[in-house]
Amino acid sequence: MTINRIQYEKAGETLYSYEHSSGLKTFVIPRRGYSKKFAAFATNYGSIDNEFIIPGEENVTRVPDGIAHFLEHKLFEQKDGNVMEKFSALGSNPNAYTSFNKTVYLFSCTDRFDENFSLLLDYVQNPYITQESVENEKGIIGQEIMMYQDNPEWKVFINLLRALYEKHPVRLDIAGTIDSISRIDRDTLYKCYNTFYHPSNMIVLAVGDIEPESIFERVESSILHREPRPPVSRIYPEEAASACSDYIEEKLAVSIPIFQMGYKGSFYGEKGIELLKYETAVKLLLELLIGRSSELFEHLYNEGLINSSFGADAYVEKQCAFSVLGGESPDPAKVRDRFCQALESAKKSGLDRSGCERLLRSLRGRFMRQFNSVERIANSFISAYFKGVSMFDYLDVYDKITFEYVNEVLHDHFDHASLAMSVIRPV
Amino acid sequence: METGFNAGKAVRVSSFDLIDIYRVYTDKFKTNSIHFFFQDNLTRENVTKNALLPAVMRRGSRTYPTLRDISMELESLYGASFDCGVTKKGERHIIHFYTEFLSRQYVPDGTDTFAAGLDLLFDIVTRPALVNGRFNEEYLAQEKENLRIRIESRVNDKMQYSVDRCLEEVCRNEPYEIYDYGFVEDLAGISADELTQHYQNMLETFPMQVYLVGSITDKETDRLSEMLSGLARKNIISLGNGFTIKKETEPRHVTETMNVTQGKLCLGYRTNTAPDSEDFPALMVCNGILGGGIHSKLFRNVREKARLAYYAYSRLEKFKGLMVVSSGIDIGNKQKALGIIEQQLDDMTKGNITDYELEATVKSIETGVKSMTDSQINIVDFYLSQTISGTNDDFSTVIEKAKKVTKDEITAAARRIVLDTIYFLTAAGSPDR
Repeated sequence: MTINRIQYEKAGETLYSYEHSSGLKTFVIPRRGYSKKFAAFATNYGSIDNEFIIPGEENVTRVPDGIAHFLEHKLFEQKDGNVMEKFSALGSNPNAYTSFNKTVYLFSCTDRFDENFSLLLDYVQNPYITQESVENEKGIIGQEIMMYQDNPEWKVFINLLRALYEKHPVRLDIAGTIDSISRIDRDTLYKCYNTFYHPSNMIVLAVGDIEPESIFERVESSILHREPRPPVSRIYPEEAASACSDYIEEKLAVSIPIFQMGYKGSFYGEKGIELLKYETAVKLLLELLIGRSSELFEHLYNEGLINSSFGADAYVEKQCAFSVLGGESPDPAKVRDRFCQALESAKKSGLDRSGCERLLRSLRGRFMRQFNSVERIANSFISAYFKGVSMFDYLDVYDKITFEYVNEVLHDHFDHASLAMSVIRPV
Repeated sequence: METGFNAGKAVRVSSFDLIDIYRVYTDKFKTNSIHFFFQDNLTRENVTKNALLPAVMRRGSRTYPTLRDISMELESLYGASFDCGVTKKGERHIIHFYTEFLSRQYVPDGTDTFAAGLDLLFDIVTRPALVNGRFNEEYLAQEKENLRIRIESRVNDKMQYSVDRCLEEVCRNEPYEIYDYGFVEDLAGISADELTQHYQNMLETFPMQVYLVGSITDKETDRLSEMLSGLARKNIISLGNGFTIKKETEPRHVTETMNVTQGKLCLGYRTNTAPDSEDFPALMVCNGILGGGIHSKLFRNVREKARLAYYAYSRLEKFKGLMVVSSGIDIGNKQKALGIIEQQLDDMTKGNITDYELEATVKSIETGVKSMTDSQINIVDFYLSQTISGTNDDFSTVIEKAKKVTKDEITAAARRIVLDTIYFLTAAGSPDR
């Protein structure tokens, strides 16, 4: 067994890794002194993977929207009952989530880690899905979908994606719709499982006060041997560089308009460190332009156009990239116009170099703070991994990113034609 | 220093003028944090002013007169954070100010982050940016507007709103029904003079708890004590926690309508078990079996068996003696869900508790309590809560007590629980059946 060990001096952390013969990669980040131990088994398969060619086949397979999330729910069911009960009998907290590009099965515990970990490896590898249980699940997921219908924060976000993207499946609700999930059946679930849950498309990660060797040994003995397999080719529709529509609005039971606006990045297909650089630059720019220490934030806040609910972030993946900024505002359009003005003036007169340095320092500190929480380490690691990098690469990016590059991204990402705004107004 | 999961016990290092300073020493975090809590009784008279205070104070201090100055300082301090706000625990209204920053060993240039973080926090709390001896009128006007929006936007989060409203209905005509962020109609009457006076009251008369978490040295602790000893303290107010016993009550139905897709059904109960009583651990386990996770009766029966809901849980408000059950359901399924929920508690009063339910619940409490030690804010909240409920447990004693609870004690705790209010948030015009 070959164990890789990389020490990151600056972060004061060590990363251990090991690759199983099936292509499954396993990572361990020990955190001494922590009570909580965390493990995840994740697949690079999410809500946007609705059209693909199964390795060895020629035809394109198209599956109903929301199926990755549906499958996540169904994996908990095992031949001898619901696996959640086995976890809770061990006193641990199992969970799972589906995002645009990944499905993650996880648990956290404080005792009996080995038993929990074996259970995780076991159930994710052994689906047991019956048509009856599929029909039953439609009721629960239906309520989950309806819960999100009443959630203005979620609605304003998913509507923004609907405005930004014309065809790309990132515009679809992760859980699908009541209609799309009604078309999900057992066979299609198995087809997706067999396509995307091959070990070579997955990773295992453990974080906490854990011995790496014992994790790798458990993986070695529990993962079924399978022939490595070529990657699944996934089909994402061609998307124009400009936003599909510049404005979208919906009415919900809210007390004040809630808005999010964002730019669609034309940054497809890139992988690895370039993605991190781009993400870091967009985040820096959002902070520089409208972050808490910016002139614009101060003005908008003093004028009552935004309040402390305001926030901004960048979402950068291989498949799509966009920035999002928003919060509550009595006049969202005015916030947008003022942001665009500030943007144009930054493009003309240049960025504040010392502000850029200060914010980079802040990003570095915030990166370090993630290590306070085993969950946050795990989330960051998994999300960086599916970008094709290690989370520790962020530290390199912070060291190497240049003012000139940030300036380039200012002109490239924040293009008016790729801007859209989503507003939820009171009924 | 203790080892094992209990490392990080709060030790009171200093106490004067009803300022209690606790240190939780641990080196497992990459950051340190400093927390100031000022406590008041929850009253209509003070609640809105208490909520407004941190909002205005965070706008600027003498050294950092604007929000922007504070933000720049935090960014320069390697992305340190500062935040403040109000919360209620029982019938106490608590104003919280805190700062969290990288500990010195992780800072490349060796900046004394503790000193910088403490100075910033101390400046914001004790030296606000005043104009002619009172709060800046512009800041006040802006923050009144922000607070109005905040109070009104309660309805945006339907899950939280329905739970809060249900418990407010249970406690109608008691201080607990007061919303943490106060009353819109009281905002207009608060002048800069009055708020400044109220600020002085807070600083002088509110009992204060301070928590230092992380690799904090004696010297640093002493420095903080010295700074706080300079505060002029007098006429310190006395506090209650509002725990209430109420056994004779007929369940009341409250229905509220809004433009929603999903109905939110909440049941509010009196637990009739005080947080400092010997019976409390049994109540804690009782709540866990009823709705404290995936092993619970509510999760398994409302979600997994009847498939009526995505979520169904119960939780305690231990200080006031309340329990609430919450579930998001199809509007037409209200009666069905209500029947199943009531049946679960009813079963417990009859002693219908399986070994699996008991064991899984106790383990889940153990995991939950141990996990708290991995988060600075959870550690602080745990110890602060102990002081409010008048108990003196640490993490391991809470676990030990939960482990000793018997089925009979749980059944007895369940029998003391009385349903008070059935609250339903539903769509306008839908038949409430």
